[in-house]
Amino acid sequence: METDKAQVVVIGGGATGTGILRDLALRGIPAILVEQGDLAHGTSSRFHGLLHSGARYAVKDKEAARECIEENMILRRIAPNCVELTGGLFVQLPEDDPQYADQWITACTEAGISCAEADVQELIKKNPVLSPNVTRAFKVPDCAVDGFRILWGNVNSARRYGARVLTYHRVSAIHQSNGRVTGVELINQLNGQKRSIECEMVINAAGPWGGEVAAMAGLEVNVIKDKGTLVAYNHRLMNMVVNRLRPPGDGDIFVPHGTITILGTTSTTVDDPGCTKPGHDEVLALIKIGQEMVPELESYRLIRAFAGVRPLYQAGNATGGRSVTRNFALLDHQQRDGLAGMVSIVGGKFTTFRLMAEKTVDLVASKLGVNAPCRTAREPLMTPVSEELLERGKKVFGVPGARKAAERLGDSFAQVVEQVEKNPDKGRILCECEVVSLAEIEHAAHSGDSFTLGDIRRKTRMGMGTCQGTFCSYRTLGALSGYPQFAGNHWEYLTKFLQKRWKGMRPVLWGQQLREAQLSTGIYCTLFAMERMR
Amino acid sequence: MNKYTDVLIIGAGLSGLMAAAKAAEQGKEVMLVAKGMGAVGLSSGCIDLWGYNLEDPNQVCQDPLAEIARLCAVNPQHPYARVRDVLEESLLFFRRVCQENGNPYLDHRGGNWLLPTALGTLRPTYLAPASMAVGDLQQVRGVLVVGFRELKDFYPDVLAANLKKSGVLQADCPLNTLMVCAGGGELTPNTLAYRLENPAVVDRIVDQIKPHLLPGAVLLLPPVLGERWDSQVAKNLAEKLGHPVYEVTNIPPALPGQRLQQMLLHHVKGQGVEVVIGCTVNGARVADKRCTEVLATGAGKPIKISAKTVILATGSFLGGGLESKPGKAWESIFGLPVETGHEKWSARDFLSMAGHLFNQMGIKVNEHLRPVDKTGEVIIENVMVTGANLAGCNHPIEKCGNGVAVASGYKAGKLAGEVGE
Amino acid sequence: MSSDHRLALDNCIKCSICVSHCPVARVTDKFAGPKQNGPDLERFRLEEPAAVHPSIGYCTNCKGCDVVCPSGVAVSAMNCRARGEYVSMHGAPLRDKILARVDRMGKAARLAPSLVNRLAGLRPLRLLAEKMLGISAAMTMPRYAQKTFLELYKPQNVGDTGRKVLYYPGCYVNYNAPEVGLALAEVLAHNNIRVEVEQFDCCGLPLIANGLLDTARDQAKKNLAKLQGYINRGYDIVTTCPSCHLTLRQEYRELFQLNTDPLHEKMLDVFEYLSVLLQQGKLVTRFEELPLQVGYHQPCHLKAAGCGVPSREILQLIPGLRVADLDAGCCGLAGTYGFKKEKYAISQAIGSNVFNAVKELGVRQVISECGMCQLQIHHLTGVAVYHPLQVLAQACGHGKWLAK
Repeated sequence: METDKAQVVVIGGGATGTGILRDLALRGIPAILVEQGDLAHGTSSRFHGLLHSGARYAVKDKEAARECIEENMILRRIAPNCVELTGGLFVQLPEDDPQYADQWITACTEAGISCAEADVQELIKKNPVLSPNVTRAFKVPDCAVDGFRILWGNVNSARRYGARVLTYHRVSAIHQSNGRVTGVELINQLNGQKRSIECEMVINAAGPWGGEVAAMAGLEVNVIKDKGTLVAYNHRLMNMVVNRLRPPGDGDIFVPHGTITILGTTSTTVDDPGCTKPGHDEVLALIKIGQEMVPELESYRLIRAFAGVRPLYQAGNATGGRSVTRNFALLDHQQRDGLAGMVSIVGGKFTTFRLMAEKTVDLVASKLGVNAPCRTAREPLMTPVSEELLERGKKVFGVPGARKAAERLGDSFAQVVEQVEKNPDKGRILCECEVVSLAEIEHAAHSGDSFTLGDIRRKTRMGMGTCQGTFCSYRTLGALSGYPQFAGNHWEYLTKFLQKRWKGMRPVLWGQQLREAQLSTGIYCTLFAMERMR
Repeated sequence: MNKYTDVLIIGAGLSGLMAAAKAAEQGKEVMLVAKGMGAVGLSSGCIDLWGYNLEDPNQVCQDPLAEIARLCAVNPQHPYARVRDVLEESLLFFRRVCQENGNPYLDHRGGNWLLPTALGTLRPTYLAPASMAVGDLQQVRGVLVVGFRELKDFYPDVLAANLKKSGVLQADCPLNTLMVCAGGGELTPNTLAYRLENPAVVDRIVDQIKPHLLPGAVLLLPPVLGERWDSQVAKNLAEKLGHPVYEVTNIPPALPGQRLQQMLLHHVKGQGVEVVIGCTVNGARVADKRCTEVLATGAGKPIKISAKTVILATGSFLGGGLESKPGKAWESIFGLPVETGHEKWSARDFLSMAGHLFNQMGIKVNEHLRPVDKTGEVIIENVMVTGANLAGCNHPIEKCGNGVAVASGYKAGKLAGEVGE
Repeated sequence: MSSDHRLALDNCIKCSICVSHCPVARVTDKFAGPKQNGPDLERFRLEEPAAVHPSIGYCTNCKGCDVVCPSGVAVSAMNCRARGEYVSMHGAPLRDKILARVDRMGKAARLAPSLVNRLAGLRPLRLLAEKMLGISAAMTMPRYAQKTFLELYKPQNVGDTGRKVLYYPGCYVNYNAPEVGLALAEVLAHNNIRVEVEQFDCCGLPLIANGLLDTARDQAKKNLAKLQGYINRGYDIVTTCPSCHLTLRQEYRELFQLNTDPLHEKMLDVFEYLSVLLQQGKLVTRFEELPLQVGYHQPCHLKAAGCGVPSREILQLIPGLRVADLDAGCCGLAGTYGFKKEKYAISQAIGSNVFNAVKELGVRQVISECGMCQLQIHHLTGVAVYHPLQVLAQACGHGKWLAK
């Protein structure tokens, strides 16, 4: 069995885990992150992609609101290619309590969130999908954020400082001796091989799986698993985030995200942290509520539904938890349970992941006797793409292709552009809906972290557009069939990918997406007879 | 604007074109209108009749006509049960039209062909154009899969790897792949097909392939060998190489389906059928169970068309013949009922062997292809329904879509031809 | 973006039927195709209007994509808007600005049409124009008439049928082919219908096709107001040019969101108008025998109107006349497109099908409604090409255009 050593093992490749890894690396603490699947396969990619201004929480939780606006400003600075500066709106409808608006304005001002009242007529002219009944509207600094990109940005930045990442490695045991954690045991999810890492500290950042991970160390951490279903529309319905100006509820946020719009979210408690099945009824409920803000919503095309599990922490009767705020909790298991070398970070939201990481690493560093201060708020995640490079990119990818590729690839954009300049054939677009080139797909395949077509999808957006992979999955398989990791069982690679896409399409199979499904089954069954392929 | 005709066919897919050809042959004045090009252009270009055994759905069926006869007994709701009387003559008619237009379709001794796809799978089909009709792969002494550098939709290594896995080839049969260049750039299948119509380009391809030929080898290529239905590209390439050359089935856009569509369109136009594509029928007037006129628009302008017989060949959801909302599906022109059942419309697995309910939804008809309600009562007397519009056909799994289209289109055309003055 | 546009965008299921039928994408890889330029990039343009593929200039605006799309996606409208966006960012070459103003060229040529025609045939001058401006030296230039249609047309005294008809001749008939307008007048006079004519602005199609949308919009508004005036006074409007017809009726609405509803009932292609008369039993169907076979080429913009071939029914009534459909797709000229140096070869390659069909059928005379198609078919094959109205007028006893 392979054995590794690191000072710290971070469990969980979501926003918090990767944020922690980066923070550790920047402070010079040797660390390995282990993740049971691909990065961002869980909650960190299964949300509406909103970088909160904090306005949503202003009335209910001022502290959380303040954290949001601070982190929002930091992320705009350190990760500009992951953040789309859409701006946000809070709109009030006739049926909403007008007094809530006044309360909300005061709360935003107190939290330091700018909220300027907008001319409603002007606004509806610019965003004609909005209900003509909107009574008041306010502009806030909400943004859209790309979960996949920020996570890989964290990891790439951490790697530059020597950190390591093992995806598709599930923790099977947490070893301890004399009241101290000594290491973890892992199983490679792709080939079943075992592996262990000796370490001084384990950080449990497993999100909805936080309770399960803690249990491996014999601890009890009470994570409430709250499933939220979201839907993706085929195009940008509006160019700003749109919230409902009333106490937060289901189905009241629209986030324009690249080429699509995400509408969320519902809320149901589930038992299984991996329960990401979007429900048909939840989808219909979302549309119904969303219609109040966007009356023609029913006629617009949904391309898929998805669900994520929010890990909400509730400090149970077992005390000792050092609640940092009401929203996330940092549990020092030495203090709380008498187990040294383990901390859990639970709860929280995507927008504040960096802050959560900072607080976690502050605690860990002090335990490890490291004095280095946190630098994650100052150092950018990646170097911005220069205008000159972007111009070169436009020559090979065209205007939309270049911009999107630059945002997705960040530091690697130069390399990919060079590839295509040298060999123009690599500039061909394999995923036409999301404009993803062969060069970009090959880059993702080369990265060493891609084992499935799904991994390529998360890095490139291949297969995430209108046709949901009907055409590009086959092309990508073909283009990569020369790579050892894709040379094996084509049926398996393709089926797994198509099945994942199918899971998201099923709850929205009507109208145009049903037509797409007929085309898709026509291709893979009628033309390829793939249902009988083995 | 008003138009009058004997037979109005709505839809330019396989069943609509078959109906038009048959009705026109019987001397009727025929008009065919369609919103756009029908789905036959997206199809394999082959006529799948019935792919697998009823008892063992993994076993390729050896006698599709006999199997369909059994099917009609066990599943009288299947569209084949409505058209069995004309099935064989419809196939003969189809083959005659193809032959006359220089695009012969071949059968495999009355059984199923087992033709390779770009994915390296094998699909059973009853009639194939000569350019695709590769005989028994078990018998071949070598396979060379040839791809084009310009094409992003075809990967010889994928085909070869999975063909090998399928076990159809003899164990010692050499299986090689080759990438050739047809002049560079990134080409769609249509652009490549256009290029290949130039004999000089074919010569260049031949030069590239020749050094890699093993004796007795069969060549498999993407479906790009020639633009038109009567193209000689595949034949010329085979002659120049001295080896048989075949096109495999691939994702759209692919030429064989398009050639079939263009050939049938050309044929019916030659028969005097007025063909109007880009004309959307969006409603109809029905009085006393008869359709008195259909309401269409062309570029936003209203057109009214009256006909003695209306043939509804508008396809399923994909073709636009059926529309849906959550929990509801309906036929889009006459609002004919579409049974959706209480089950889920789709199976959990994308590649479910049971198929998906949405692919089986459609309009119920009687033996004259007239739409009927739950009780079997005819809803509109001068309307007939064909092809993918028909309920009860699980075509992606059964491999019978184009077969049902040929037979039902033919039958509707024939019945329309029998309607008196 | 209006909600119609959003729905049209959502309708695309990426089936690629538009790509398969695109005459340009068929013969060259320089054009990324209607799907990529249209619905694919349209999703990006909602965020970033500049998301236009530079190959958009290779679209001929033949509208074949709209016709074949089984999903009702207004592909060509997306492409026209995208081209407009591209031109507004990058500017249009002088050549395009000149070619797009067919009305101005026509006006200028009026000063000395013979001289212009002679100069257009001078090889050294054409080579210079190719070098300096990028106007292909190989393409046949349209010839200007000695007098415009509006100058030539004299209203005839006919019996009163109570029908009021206004004719929108379009630039080509007015400056280059007045005989078509005159044929129309003769045919209608044959039916005791008097034709009114008026000076209109160019419908704007050449401007639209060259991405100069602002100017086109201004002309659209003016034309529409004028046409509305005639409609209010009880006129039917007839056209003979399918491109003008489609532009007035469809493009004004799709591209400029102008209300063209009043045109739907009242504006007709002349053969549609005659068909209505026929259906009402009001068409004079005494025709002279024309024992000849002609090839028929359906212009793309007539196909795009989605109402078939309006002349079909009427021409069938002429004794002896046999019309054989060339069924050969786009001729490739696409208005100003084929005159552009870098596009000439593409235009000719597209047109080769028409050439082959004419050869196969062995016809010596071809009819087609579109002036530009006529020019291209003549350029490709050398055969004489006429407007179907000329055939009809001849059958009514006027004109001797077609050789028997």
